[in-house]
Amino acid sequence: MKQPNVTSESKTEEFFKLTVKSPGQTLQIAANSTTSVRLALDTTSLRVRAACGGLGTCGACLIQLVCGDFNPPTVTERQRILPEDLASGMRLACQLRPRSNGELFLEYPAPHSEWKSLDASDLYEPSHHYPVDHHVYGVAVDLGTTQIRLSLWNRKTGRRIATRYGINPQIAYGADVLTRLDADRLGDFDKNTLTQLARKAIIDGLRDILCRDMGEVSPILNEIGKVLIVGNTAMLTLFCGENGDNLYQPENWQQSIHCQLTDVDSLKLAWRTPHANIAIAQPLAGFIGSDLLADLLATAITEQSEPIMLADFGTNTEIALWDGRTLWATSVPGGPAFEGIGLRNGMSGEAGAISKVIKVDGAWQYQTISNASPRGFCASGYVDAIAMLVNDQSLKASGRFAEPLSTSGFRLDADNAHTAIYGGDVDLFQRAKAATAAAMSQLLAMSGLSKNDLHKLWICGCFGQHLNLPNAIALGLLPDIITERIRVLPNASLAGCEKLLLNQDSENLVKAIYSRIHVINLSCVAEYEERFINNLLLKPMPIEEHD
Amino acid sequence: MLESYIRSYNDAVFETDKEAAMAVVNKALADGVTPENIVFRLIIPAIEMMMAIIEKDPDANLAQHFMTAQIAADVTEKMLEKFSQPPEVIGRIVIGAAHGDLHSLGKRIVSGCLKALMVEVIDLGVNVSAERFVDAAVSENAQVIAISAMMVHTATGENGSQRVRALLQERGLEQKIKLAVGGAPYRFDPELYRKVGADAWAADGVTAGKMIVNLIREVKNDTA
Repeated sequence: MKQPNVTSESKTEEFFKLTVKSPGQTLQIAANSTTSVRLALDTTSLRVRAACGGLGTCGACLIQLVCGDFNPPTVTERQRILPEDLASGMRLACQLRPRSNGELFLEYPAPHSEWKSLDASDLYEPSHHYPVDHHVYGVAVDLGTTQIRLSLWNRKTGRRIATRYGINPQIAYGADVLTRLDADRLGDFDKNTLTQLARKAIIDGLRDILCRDMGEVSPILNEIGKVLIVGNTAMLTLFCGENGDNLYQPENWQQSIHCQLTDVDSLKLAWRTPHANIAIAQPLAGFIGSDLLADLLATAITEQSEPIMLADFGTNTEIALWDGRTLWATSVPGGPAFEGIGLRNGMSGEAGAISKVIKVDGAWQYQTISNASPRGFCASGYVDAIAMLVNDQSLKASGRFAEPLSTSGFRLDADNAHTAIYGGDVDLFQRAKAATAAAMSQLLAMSGLSKNDLHKLWICGCFGQHLNLPNAIALGLLPDIITERIRVLPNASLAGCEKLLLNQDSENLVKAIYSRIHVINLSCVAEYEERFINNLLLKPMPIEEHD
Repeated sequence: MLESYIRSYNDAVFETDKEAAMAVVNKALADGVTPENIVFRLIIPAIEMMMAIIEKDPDANLAQHFMTAQIAADVTEKMLEKFSQPPEVIGRIVIGAAHGDLHSLGKRIVSGCLKALMVEVIDLGVNVSAERFVDAAVSENAQVIAISAMMVHTATGENGSQRVRALLQERGLEQKIKLAVGGAPYRFDPELYRKVGADAWAADGVTAGKMIVNLIREVKNDTA
């Protein structure tokens, strides 16, 4: 899933193409000589069986070499695989690393699961940890509006056992946080359904790790001592089974609201985690969740000596600006546009989502996630397509198409209705990007900084994963600073949650953020509206007076 | 000569290009066109043209609404300062977002269009209590109270439009002050405006301009 060309830093190693066949499925993966075949497959729908978390001790991830050059068998493999099997090309996927393009055959893949592993490279790396002797396992959870990310840790050894991400099943009830809270307001039945969906999804993801990476479930659940959850305010409210009404009170906008699990005992019973301390990382304010808090902790933003902006895109886009003294923070309704939802052919970043669009010699070309046949666009696909349309003047900066669109919309592929973009999609995108850009420029103005002062811009959340930065800048979604200063951190929220989970003085970490933060409610800032309208055009962010 | 300004001003508004619109107006001023003519021959016809286009367009672009309204309001405001005599206004309204509602952009489009249509707009901001709406309408001598609500609970809330209606009734103001509403919930249920006690509603900010002008005329005819 990681795009090797998103940041300059990740362009380090040559990637080889591997074809992996199994009785029901054939797919192509890219892996380099430092990635095990198991890890490369973990991000796809075809996964190997395993019960040891990739240590090579269970011998369950057997895979057959067909052709290609790979590393020689490791000591572990010699211990686990019969000599005649080894001689015939049988290997352990967790030990296997390619040295050329090749082909593999996986006879017994793991049962299909909706849960996939994360690229752990931007997750938390404990420099030291405080060993825990009892109930040593801990779970970090980022409960997102469209995706749930989690990781399981052995807190005694300070080792991450595995990660998972999957789609939040609550999505069926409306992608927009407010839509979902509206659903929440409909009655206890719906509220309870939403609460149970989120709770069940988290334990499902955890059980997926236990089944596959540890080989046993109940004994490990029994040994889980802590579960820590971060998320936006709406998600945490729903998870706790609270009424969302307090979120609607304007007076709660700027002050922190407390999300409290009211039925922790029944949750422990349902999860079968009798010793787990299930904790909620508290939101920073009414519409600024602990997912932003986690981003801020993961990036250690207040320890930086230069001005830095951080944006976590989603149905609510949260933005923070560190000016060296004050941490300015706000959130804007990005609208479902950034989750790819609400647009006619919009979808979240699942298999089949168009994630990249380019134009070569006047012909449209696009790339989908998992190379599946196109089912729609995720946000990065819209960014690319709209930028290309503006670039070739088919779409005007006002958001109007140069030639009136037919009822079938503008199609990248004339024969595929799922590749169509409509005028209403452009409108929704314009408003979402204007809200975000205006918030960025408002925080800059309040801190007395200009965008040229920004030393770094960090893009958190899965939105950034496939984003083409020059296109985002050309449309005015991001400030026009050189792309080398922009870093994409898709897993920052989970990384921050892990930091809180494993640190003994997590309270002080949180206090350090609270003592610096200044929350802005943009509804009460008169100039914000003006900035919003000034940012609606599909062109780079306007130059401010103080720039 | 005026014809060519009208054409280029219309083009600029159609492209929602504020700088270009401003440039046309400045050039017209420099050529001796009066501020009055700019408002009545350029700005008002242009906003009426946009209203007509937007009304017919099923895929109407809200971003373009915002930008068009802002151009109209900004240019009008600049020209009004230059009028040789104070302009004759059609009427006056108070506008705001309902109690508990922090959404302010919907009313902004309405305000922008109304200013260009020579209606004075007193903006009370967001999260406005029913009492404040009525008190302000009385003290400002407004013919219409316009309440924007973007969420179902602020549209139907007991401290929103319903309370304003009750206050107007209690104080015997129903002939003098009309109540207009707008916002997303009213689009989902076109009969909702009656349930909350409003006299009228409009589906979008630009058509709301027309609806409010009609309400002002109604009040003026009734009380004349």
